Amino acid sequence: MKGSGKKLSLERRHNLTGWVFLIPATALIAWMSFYPMIQAFILSLQTGLGINLKFGGLTNYTRILQDATFRQCLFNTIFYLIIQVPVMLILALILASMLNNKHLRFKGLFRTMIFLPCATSLVSYSMIFRSMFANDGLVNTLLRGIGMEPVMWFANAWTARAVIIIALIWRWTGYNMVFYLAGLQNIEYSVYEAAKIDGASPRQSFFKITVPLLKPTILLTAIMSTNGTLQLFDESMNLTNGGPGQATMTLSHYIYNMSFVQSPNFGYSAAMSIIVLIMVAVLAVIQMKVGDER
Amino acid sequence: MKRKVIALLLASTMVLSMTACGGSGGDSGSSSGSTASSEGGGSGDNTLTVWTWDPNFNVYAIEKAAEIYAQDHEGFKVEVTEVLSDDIETNLTTAASAGDYSTLPDIFLMQDNSFQKYVANYPDIFTDLTDSGVDFSQFAEAKVAYSVVDGKNYGVPFDNGAVIAAYRTDYLEQAGFTIDDFTDITWSDFMEKAKVVKEKTGQPILTSQAGSPDLIMEMLQSCGASLFNEDGSVNIVGNDALKECMEIYVQMVEDGTLVEVTDWDQYVASLNNGTVASSINGCWIMASITAQEDQSGKWAITNMPRLERQENATNYSNNGGSSWAISSNCDNPELAMDFLNATFAGSTELYDDLLTAGTGAIATWSPAKESDVYAEPSEFFGGDAVNSKILGFSEQTPSNVTGPFYYDARNAVGTALSAITQQGADMDSEIEKAQDTVEFNMGG
Repeated sequence: MKGSGKKLSLERRHNLTGWVFLIPATALIAWMSFYPMIQAFILSLQTGLGINLKFGGLTNYTRILQDATFRQCLFNTIFYLIIQVPVMLILALILASMLNNKHLRFKGLFRTMIFLPCATSLVSYSMIFRSMFANDGLVNTLLRGIGMEPVMWFANAWTARAVIIIALIWRWTGYNMVFYLAGLQNIEYSVYEAAKIDGASPRQSFFKITVPLLKPTILLTAIMSTNGTLQLFDESMNLTNGGPGQATMTLSHYIYNMSFVQSPNFGYSAAMSIIVLIMVAVLAVIQMKVGDER
Repeated sequence: MKRKVIALLLASTMVLSMTACGGSGGDSGSSSGSTASSEGGGSGDNTLTVWTWDPNFNVYAIEKAAEIYAQDHEGFKVEVTEVLSDDIETNLTTAASAGDYSTLPDIFLMQDNSFQKYVANYPDIFTDLTDSGVDFSQFAEAKVAYSVVDGKNYGVPFDNGAVIAAYRTDYLEQAGFTIDDFTDITWSDFMEKAKVVKEKTGQPILTSQAGSPDLIMEMLQSCGASLFNEDGSVNIVGNDALKECMEIYVQMVEDGTLVEVTDWDQYVASLNNGTVASSINGCWIMASITAQEDQSGKWAITNMPRLERQENATNYSNNGGSSWAISSNCDNPELAMDFLNATFAGSTELYDDLLTAGTGAIATWSPAKESDVYAEPSEFFGGDAVNSKILGFSEQTPSNVTGPFYYDARNAVGTALSAITQQGADMDSEIEKAQDTVEFNMGG
């Protein structure tokens, strides 16, 4: 009896030590992240412009339902999400398994080159893409060079969206690839060798070994990319400025315009941000349910 | 189980106490920040702090003004902080939302188009300048109107945004025209001549940033029209002036006499590369035009075309420009008012210097026109006295209603315009959509 009592207190002490280590980070997150979120929620219940705010209950949320611009931006954002995220993740996965090949030379060089876009600032890469796809930019010069008609990329809604997706894929594929490469390090190479001896084709070992064993990493990158795409801002702002019209404007860009470009309606902006938060949370839960087989 | 509960309780109390510490830490942080800035805001009796953004332009101007003012006011100086225009606006919003004005400088520069929005939404930021002694009647009327809300003046006008039409005279010559053929003309006349220019030189007469309604807004103001009624309600559907402007724009795009470019850099590039025959824009565009020194003598400046269907149509308009405001955080508003009154509203020496120093800041203050510097011919623009000419333009510019929702309406019209020119949408339904968007935003 006595012995076990002593053991308990020791365990408790260990537990407490663990909590003490957790506290600084937890407190910082609560103060810097959760507290503003609660404030934002309170703000989202207020209506009015500038500082002339008054309590309006759920008015802002019902307003969202009637907002045609919000619907347009929501469509744009979801369009980017369903096209860009799968394409990017599949590309990243293919690149990662190619670069994981033991017999490949200059592996470090290739890895660095593919990861490098991530080191560029969001604004500057957006501006470079804008000049590349300009009417007399690099891309149109190349098109003319191979005898094709130049495309007015930013004049048409669908080509402008395509430019944003191309830019996103360029910027983020390498980033996700690094996660996959890290995940691949944990898969024993002998597993592949055994499969090879058993006569598995590279295709088979990719689908039967790599993908299943990488599942947790794929889930992680899928959630992060979904989250990032739903909050997309820099590309919409700097690459197309939401144009033509509002055809490429993302939700975050609209929220920004609502707060800082047009007459400031912070309550409404906060309500839209809360909707984005809910969307991110719901999608993450769905992905975890789908990806988790335990 | 029990120990888990205890552990959780202990942990949560500790988290709470930590958060409390964190909170108080934050408080002390922000208060020390505000003392630091209030020192900056009101140090000494003779120093004013200023926020403004362009070292070659308005920073130079306020420093020069301080130098002139210091000649009769021993020890006077300004402390200028370079803050970008957008950042000034964000800082004002932040300060006002937090209810802590102590971070604001004594004087700041604000874009004319933002003035109404900020005075309406954050009235406590500004100091009323109506009785400051500044004689506002000496400034161009349309310019002053930007910073007047409910009959009260909140800004001292600074730079001129009068619209000029700058033409490549060598292109006009090739098409058989002179600059006089483009002076005091109507838009339909302009459009016909533009076709000839296009045919003879292969170049469009205008370029425009896609989706930017700058040109439309200039045309609207040239007849005193606006996207709002006097009472502040939206005036987009059934606004004949707007419709005429949009019809002209769309027609010119169809004719190929107006080419839309992707962004501002390309717009400026089209002027400098000679891929366009003219530019209709605020007079500040001259700085971009003159940057291409080898085109000296090939440009001439005149007024813009006027609308036809509108009663009050003129050949004059405005685009851009800014005014000085005094913040409510200013400890010595009398000094700040006297300073602005004696310089930007009272010193030809200042405005002369701004021109000779090459800042390109043209006054909207009428007495400045009398000075010899303003009458000096500009070699770049074919020996014309462009500065006094532009000051003359600004005096004839009609004023129009901007209102706090200016940017909402402007964005909505820009969206409509690009839907029509780029996606072939129907004009009437797009105009209706624009009206709905602005009314929706105002309903918040």
